[in-house]
Amino acid sequence: MAKSVIAEARDIQLAKELIELGARLQVLEAETRLSREKLLRLYKEIQGKSPPKGMLPFSTDWFMTWQPNIHASLFMSIYRYIDKSMELEQIEVVLKAYRLYREHIKAHGMEEVLSITRAWRLVKFFDAGMLTTTACRGCGGQFVVHTFELTDDYVCGLCNVPSRAGKTKRRLQEQLAAV
Amino acid sequence: MSRDQLLDEIREVNLSYLLLAQRMIHEDRAEAMYRLGLSEQVVEIIEKLTMAQIIKIASSNLLICGFRFNEDVIWNLLTSHGKDAEIARMHASLLMAGAPALEATPA
Repeated sequence: MAKSVIAEARDIQLAKELIELGARLQVLEAETRLSREKLLRLYKEIQGKSPPKGMLPFSTDWFMTWQPNIHASLFMSIYRYIDKSMELEQIEVVLKAYRLYREHIKAHGMEEVLSITRAWRLVKFFDAGMLTTTACRGCGGQFVVHTFELTDDYVCGLCNVPSRAGKTKRRLQEQLAAV
Repeated sequence: MSRDQLLDEIREVNLSYLLLAQRMIHEDRAEAMYRLGLSEQVVEIIEKLTMAQIIKIASSNLLICGFRFNEDVIWNLLTSHGKDAEIARMHASLLMAGAPALEATPA
């Protein structure tokens, strides 16, 4: 079948947006029908370097640790809001939700914990039924959990902040710099 | 502040709100719906307003836009300060994103 030029143009635009947000090559391969060679060339042209090699992180456990869980839950809330509001292709929803997530993080001067690749993986884990959300007993917000976890009494990491939470390297450096 | 001045200022806020909403809807509909907290129906109504209609709607003695949340928990998070303020704001955003959009009620 002859490739449609318009479809290819759309794929290039999509790949460009994803690369600009820092997506890994695997994401581009899954979401577009462009050849690997073309994607590599596009990547180099936009990022000025070759894409990182190696496999994508495949574990759902990362999303369960304190800081990633909060960021993933915020992203997922935005994702679902947009998904409910309009009929869009899934990757469009991921892009829009990710931009809004990043905007929020920037506005509050926080660290960007969730990469576009992680966000994309997160949505795929939801599709595969490996992850879902549950309501926190304290605040009623929806938080990312493993699908078959017992969550009747779930309390989120924001209602019950662990004592070491937020003590990131960056924060420590800022505190040292202030001294 | 005189009553006339108050009405002028209300009209100006209404006008800015409607014009900004229209521009946002025009630029990116899905994103605008998230930012405005409005349903597709309401967004469609705002989108189709003519300039004359906007001016008429804005010239009211009431503000046409209100808060998008009523929950105590969100208010408490937004007004909290101290060392956990950053976490509280993140928490508030998460809860606001989870709240349903404002729907148009059928006549």
